[in-house]
Amino acid sequence: MTGAEAMVKCLEAEGITRVFGYPGVAIAPFYEGLYNSSIEHVLVRQEQNAGHAASGYARLSRKPAVCCVTSGPGATNLITALATCYADSIPIIAISGQVSSELLGRDVFQEADMTGATRSFVKHSYLVKDPDDLPRIFKEAFYIASTGRKGPVLIDVPIDVQNKKLSREFKYPDEVNMRGYKPEVKVNLQQIKKVVAALDKAKKPLICAGGGVILGDGEEHIRAFCEKFNIPVVSTMMGIGVMPKKHPLYFGMLGNNGKPYANKAVGRSDLLIIVGARLADRAIPKPENLVRRVGVIHIDIDTAEIGKNMGPTIPLVGDVKDIFEALMEQEIPVADQSWIDELEEVKHSTVDPRVFSDKLVNPNLLVQMLSEKMDDNAVYVADVGQNQLWSADNYVMKNGRFMTTGGMGTMGYSIPAAMGAKMYDPSVQAVAVCGDGSFQMSMNELATIRVNQVPVKVLVMKNRFLGLVREYQYNTYDSHYSGVRLYDWPRYDKIAEAYEMPFFSCSHDADLEKTLDEFLACPDACLMVCDVDSEDRVK
Amino acid sequence: MKGIFSVLVENKEGVLSAISGLFARRGYNIDSLAVGETDDRSVSSMTIVSTGDQRTIDQIEKQLNKKVDVIKVRRLDEAKSISLEMMLVKVSCTPANRSSLIELCQITGAKIMKVSPKFLLLEYHAEPEGVEDFIDLIKSYGILDIQRTGTISLSKT
Repeated sequence: MTGAEAMVKCLEAEGITRVFGYPGVAIAPFYEGLYNSSIEHVLVRQEQNAGHAASGYARLSRKPAVCCVTSGPGATNLITALATCYADSIPIIAISGQVSSELLGRDVFQEADMTGATRSFVKHSYLVKDPDDLPRIFKEAFYIASTGRKGPVLIDVPIDVQNKKLSREFKYPDEVNMRGYKPEVKVNLQQIKKVVAALDKAKKPLICAGGGVILGDGEEHIRAFCEKFNIPVVSTMMGIGVMPKKHPLYFGMLGNNGKPYANKAVGRSDLLIIVGARLADRAIPKPENLVRRVGVIHIDIDTAEIGKNMGPTIPLVGDVKDIFEALMEQEIPVADQSWIDELEEVKHSTVDPRVFSDKLVNPNLLVQMLSEKMDDNAVYVADVGQNQLWSADNYVMKNGRFMTTGGMGTMGYSIPAAMGAKMYDPSVQAVAVCGDGSFQMSMNELATIRVNQVPVKVLVMKNRFLGLVREYQYNTYDSHYSGVRLYDWPRYDKIAEAYEMPFFSCSHDADLEKTLDEFLACPDACLMVCDVDSEDRVK
Repeated sequence: MKGIFSVLVENKEGVLSAISGLFARRGYNIDSLAVGETDDRSVSSMTIVSTGDQRTIDQIEKQLNKKVDVIKVRRLDEAKSISLEMMLVKVSCTPANRSSLIELCQITGAKIMKVSPKFLLLEYHAEPEGVEDFIDLIKSYGILDIQRTGTISLSKT
């Protein structure tokens, strides 16, 4: 058996049935292996999108997904997707072809030092030197990607290693044995006691749920805990989806792009329980000031996140499910209803100062209506820009998934990620929502969607600008709009026609409901464009 | 504050780069770094000395622990560990001042490895502060070349 055949066997052993990729000579032996296997290869139109598609696939399946690229430019094109997965802790396995071992370091055609170049964007990486190492390396890679704090793992395989025969019979290991990687953490009962004592004293406890809750499959646990002890919840952008939007204990997304009343809830609480969030600058601008005033319990699977941006009063390291299972059994007083009532009052007295144009489609109304009309378990993928913030602000979470790149903010994520999610579960409705800027960063994937008959719905909020930068220039540079005009092209109807996709468009709120109904009822992949006023702002 | 880390890592290519990259990426300072194989050839031992505030030093320890190729991280307390640094130094000298330099070596315990008409090549090891003191002493003669190993440390317990 050759190294390439072994790589395919490893993927089969991990239960992988589909990979996203883009071939080249340096990865050709692996593609020959795929040709002879039952694994489906999905040819994307640019390597970065193979990574984003794998990301969407992994987020819905909650298991590592695989992408594969060739050496040199193929591999470097993938780096943005790796960085995106790393920032959001998404488990993907990236396989890159590499030039022949004896040519490494000679700067030959299509050689790029991938393990070196991706060092700060992957959880771990391998440069394979011997085909006999492949089974162990694949086993380790899947284990590392999917345990502890999840993340991308890169396996760089020189072409000669793919071609060389294994010296012994292929055997996929049953378990891993890495002396430097032990992700299992036992819940520290001493710390649990401290948490209970803090909750015992707190009059106004508040949970802040981050993306780690979803990565740790802990949504149900958080919901059960907050309901049992009557503790209100806010979320970060990555934590949207932990709580249903209309849950009586949910008070929205915090942060400088979040709900003012969510930030007020943080300000008024006396004990903040942060779960699976790193609280970066966009969530809490000056964490040190907050810590001086309120007690902070920081729960995370990654020890290094605790205290990185905010010194906690009580650190608690571990798996979200284990920790909340332990907490559910503790004697904790049920929080007073007056605290919830106070937050309700804050919520209802907060007036939205924004005024939206009534000439075109109101983006808030669009997101609300769209997400209300979507299936209960639908996947909503928000891209990056004003569309993302309007989406996060107005998305009506029922029992589906809200996906976006909260950490890296990578434009062009939504179309390939929605495609990946839809390919994992064709029964789930998947909608990519993007702006006219982000759409054009990955519109080439409409071909992949069309060819593979993946009925993804793509909705573009078109305002002829890179809206979020324009808004920044409006606020910061006296409306000097520099480099942000997209003008009126492409003609979206022609794009849809070129890919032979049904097309819908809407320019007025009055037509919105009808058009959305048609768009959502369409059984095929389809494109919808909503004209949004460029003066409409997120703040 | 000063942080002394004794780190056991997999003895593989790329590991040193991963560790130094971790420091570079997060803006942590490496004051000195010494690496060598242990009795187990698959394991290397590193002594890394860094300075920063308490949070930085804590983060360095946590980030080191996250690396898959890092087997064990120990933060050493200066008072409860032995630290040494070794150096080789070429000190310029003339027949006129050679004997005073030799006398200095005898007092400090520096070893003369080679004598040449224009310089003495010395080997000196001591605790890191002692090495600095010795450099101050020989500076006036003129240092032609110097090579330091960086600090190596082991805990006393």
